[in-house]
Amino acid sequence: MSDKTILYVEDNEFNRKIVRQLLAQTRYRLREAPDGESGVRAAQEELPDLILMDVQLPKMSGLDATRQLRADPRTARVPIIIVTSYALSGDEQKARDAGATAYIAKPYSPRDLLSKIREIVPEA
Amino acid sequence: MRLDRTDPLAALLLRSPIGALVDWAARVRASVQRKLLVAFLLITLLFIGMAAFSLLTMRGMTRQSELLDRAHQRLEWSQQIHHSLAMQMHLTAMALLVRDEAAIGSILRENNRFNEALARLEEAVEQPERAVIQKVRAGQEEAMAVVADIANLVRDSKIEAATRVHSTREDPLYRSIDALVSQMVQQEDARMVRLRDGMRAARERSLVVLGGFAAIAVLLALAAGFVISWMLIRPLSAAHGLLNELSSGRFGGSVKVPNNDELGELAVQLSATSRELARLDAEQRRAAQELAALNAKLQQTSVAKSEFLANMSHELRTPLNAILGFTEMLTDGLYGAVPGDFREPLADIQTNGRHLLRLINDVLDLSKIEAGRMELSLGEYSAEEVVNTVRASLRSLAEEKALEFRVELDAGLPEIMLGDAKRITQCLLNLAGNALKFTKRGRVTIRAERQGDFVHYSVADTGIGIPPEQLEAVFTEFRQLDATITREFGGTGLGLSITKKFVEMHGGRIWVESRLSEGSTFHFTIPLKSEMASTV
Repeated sequence: MSDKTILYVEDNEFNRKIVRQLLAQTRYRLREAPDGESGVRAAQEELPDLILMDVQLPKMSGLDATRQLRADPRTARVPIIIVTSYALSGDEQKARDAGATAYIAKPYSPRDLLSKIREIVPEA
Repeated sequence: MRLDRTDPLAALLLRSPIGALVDWAARVRASVQRKLLVAFLLITLLFIGMAAFSLLTMRGMTRQSELLDRAHQRLEWSQQIHHSLAMQMHLTAMALLVRDEAAIGSILRENNRFNEALARLEEAVEQPERAVIQKVRAGQEEAMAVVADIANLVRDSKIEAATRVHSTREDPLYRSIDALVSQMVQQEDARMVRLRDGMRAARERSLVVLGGFAAIAVLLALAAGFVISWMLIRPLSAAHGLLNELSSGRFGGSVKVPNNDELGELAVQLSATSRELARLDAEQRRAAQELAALNAKLQQTSVAKSEFLANMSHELRTPLNAILGFTEMLTDGLYGAVPGDFREPLADIQTNGRHLLRLINDVLDLSKIEAGRMELSLGEYSAEEVVNTVRASLRSLAEEKALEFRVELDAGLPEIMLGDAKRITQCLLNLAGNALKFTKRGRVTIRAERQGDFVHYSVADTGIGIPPEQLEAVFTEFRQLDATITREFGGTGLGLSITKKFVEMHGGRIWVESRLSEGSTFHFTIPLKSEMASTV
């Protein structure tokens, strides 16, 4: 059975680097997209096992991108973890309304993020 | 009577010359008391005059009725004289006819009666009548002498001679006396009629005069009353009008009254007050406008500031995420084993990074609240869940400091309540976190109990306490008791302020009781069913 693919849509290079280095230790395969539009495109081109979606993104917000992916029958069933920059009241609800599977607040602990990923998509 | 309404009759009278009199009375330079006194004195004098006039009239009438009585008496006496004379004539004739001594005696008795009445009448009448009476008396005396002659002749039985004397001397004498007496009776009768007519005329005259006098007195009294009351009512009514204007917020009007008394002074003062109020009002309006402009500007600045803070904290969090993330991965040995010397500085980076994160979060919360953009996310929750979450998050800190950490839950609390569980938890977490932070030994107790339609949460500690003069200030932003405390105990100084705002947004209340070096108890209440409070 091939390794699980994770698509990380995030504009900040350092945050991408954290996840890249975090997942380097695991068997997950990481793909990256720097904005909402390219994130949606990447998901449609090659269906990932899990999407990590930032909210504040250039071109298209993470919430809009999630809605679009949910509307597309090909990507409708992919688990999406939404990463928001701050856990404001109502943010979680907004994420769930958009169709997110789970929700994690930034700044997140890489350790917690990894266990959340493992919980949704077991490594092997 | 209402001051703002004048009845039509009074309005009509005020336009008549009596209105000018009202003006005149108002202009008289004297106190109201003196004016009233004069008016009442005037009315009283009028009535005293009327009473005196009635007394005089009554006295005149009494005197006339006495005169009438006396005239009546005189008439009676003259009639008596007339009657006695007739009796004498009749008795004399009878003596001649019956030749009897007894008839002569009767003549003498009748003569006495005649003389008696004549004497009374003479006493009552004046000089001209007295002459007639003397003539009558002289005639009577002569007649009596003749009667004596006739009596002697009758006694001597000389009847013929006696009859002759009677017819030649006595009868003409009696006739002349009778003529005089008749004249007297007529005079007295006429006199009495005159007197009676005069009295009737006088009575009618005095009735007319008295009635006129009374009517004039009543009219004058009414006029005086009208003048005096309108002299008072007009300035009062004018003052009433101005006060009405003032009370409805229209300042600057004035009252003009002709009064030269206390009411005039009052009007002048009232006008001055109104002018002063108008001046103050204008000043106030100008100040309010300036203030409103300033306020709008300040509000704009405040919104801009809050937006700036919100953006800033977002921008700050992104690099912070990287710092905390890389540190954690380093600590977790993701980049290889961590040398022993590196562990402590790595832990320090993590501690300070988390502190910075808390600060940024608090600033963002506060700026959102102040910009009016913080909204509660109301839902069903249970107090037990809130309290347990707080206990779970703080248990390790309490254990580290070897503090007793107690939770007391009221059994009477409803299982499901309405509120923003996350914010209520944040509030209780802030208070309990502070309590643990500022307590070196002893215990921290969290309580939740029902209090009417509210849940009453409290956090009691046995910590350093707060000086009484600082109790008010603890809920203000960036107020920790002093800088040393911040260094010693940590914290952002924003937690209490944010807690207060969340509590108030729920419609609750927050307060603190404290004794220096004995401990503090923070209380707050949250409605069992919270509704979104519009602004804080």
